Amino acid sequence: MPKDDPRRRFELLALPHLDAAYNLARWLTGSAADAEDVVQEAYLRAYRYFDTFRDGNIRVWLLTIVRNSFNTWIKDNRSPRLGFVADLPEPDSAEDERLLWGTPQDDPETLLLRDIDHAMVGRLMQSLPSAYREILLLREVEELSYRDIASITGTPVGTVMSRLSRARDALRRLWHGEAAKEANAANGTNAPKSTNVGETRNGV
Amino acid sequence: MASDRYAPQLSALLDGELGPFHRWRMARHLKTCPSCAARLEELRTMQGAIRTTLIRHRAPPGLAQRIGSMLPHESVAPPVRVRWRLMPLAGTGFAGALAGVALTLLVLGGPSHQGGINVTDAVLDSHIRSLMADHLTDVLTSDQHTVKPWLSARLDVSPSVSDFVAEGFPLVGGRMDYVDGHPAAAVVYRHAKHVINLFAWAAPDAADAPFKRTTRQGFNLISWRHGGIEYVAVSDVEMDQLATFTRLVAGAG
Repeated sequence: MPKDDPRRRFELLALPHLDAAYNLARWLTGSAADAEDVVQEAYLRAYRYFDTFRDGNIRVWLLTIVRNSFNTWIKDNRSPRLGFVADLPEPDSAEDERLLWGTPQDDPETLLLRDIDHAMVGRLMQSLPSAYREILLLREVEELSYRDIASITGTPVGTVMSRLSRARDALRRLWHGEAAKEANAANGTNAPKSTNVGETRNGV
Repeated sequence: MASDRYAPQLSALLDGELGPFHRWRMARHLKTCPSCAARLEELRTMQGAIRTTLIRHRAPPGLAQRIGSMLPHESVAPPVRVRWRLMPLAGTGFAGALAGVALTLLVLGGPSHQGGINVTDAVLDSHIRSLMADHLTDVLTSDQHTVKPWLSARLDVSPSVSDFVAEGFPLVGGRMDYVDGHPAAAVVYRHAKHVINLFAWAAPDAADAPFKRTTRQGFNLISWRHGGIEYVAVSDVEMDQLATFTRLVAGAG
């Protein structure tokens, strides 16, 4: 088991993060088979460029490559349903925000823990634009710092902060929509008034 | 709403990413703005829900092997799938202080390994990796009440975690690791500059076994089995020191 064998070293360092790589790819692609393709491609790429990895966090380095592989994959398999991570505009005006999300809605009531159907979390995450889904995964699942997320997404830390905030707000609104639907169902009324922001995101 | 304007700051506050000045300003603002205070609570609720309920997809069986076989040169050793099933470790304690030792308690679950060559190598790999990579700990804290729930949340088990600072082994943190291609949990202790990884996994049907010493690649290993748990301690400390340590662990168990 020579420690200086680069292949051995790659396996020792990279394979432990296979689950993290797969989880990110799985959430980004929304499919087990596609996630596997993306991860395989990412690991081959990572091995090819392994000599460029110096010190630092190998998980961050690998997730960067997974993300890049996903972007390549989506270009080759472009589906209108899937957001393209790199394409997401940073909305910097209320107008952009409306284009991205439809008419924003004021939510008078605070989200309460008891209103949360936990099985719903994954469904709501999946209906977010992939850039929002991605940043939430990096933050809440991988528990990475803004600096690491900035390194993975190739954006300034300030952008990470604003995008994450928008992602949370988007999720929050979806969540309120679900809560409203359930409340309506409970009241015997139908046609929830809340905007389903997921339906408007194809304009991304 | 005021909370919309402050949303990025609230979000960053939640993540502990605000600098001291902005943190102080937000704290002051929150006292006088119920809207922002409510929004922060909401963000916290959502964060908790995501962290505790979102599915973490695991790489399918065989993916590591397929990747390994696609890399040039020899193939990777075929991984043995280990399912996590941790037993609470018997309380561990140290009666004396050893100079220059850091400890990692690594807990494995699943099919019982019999301490053969492959397992020894896997354990040693994990030990070396913990030293090589920037990955000695995932959760860095000396608070056992933080490490234990952190591990429990990820392993569906509750390994015993103690801080042996009085004995000279302060708790450093915990980490998820892999041994032989499988997830593992580790509790890391530090004592001066050396590291001991104490690996443990369930061997429910195996009888107790006495200490067995091995030396490989400059590292010392001592393995034993007690109460249905297989232990392997790995370190570059002197074998005598390692033996003192393992006697303490076993004695406390």
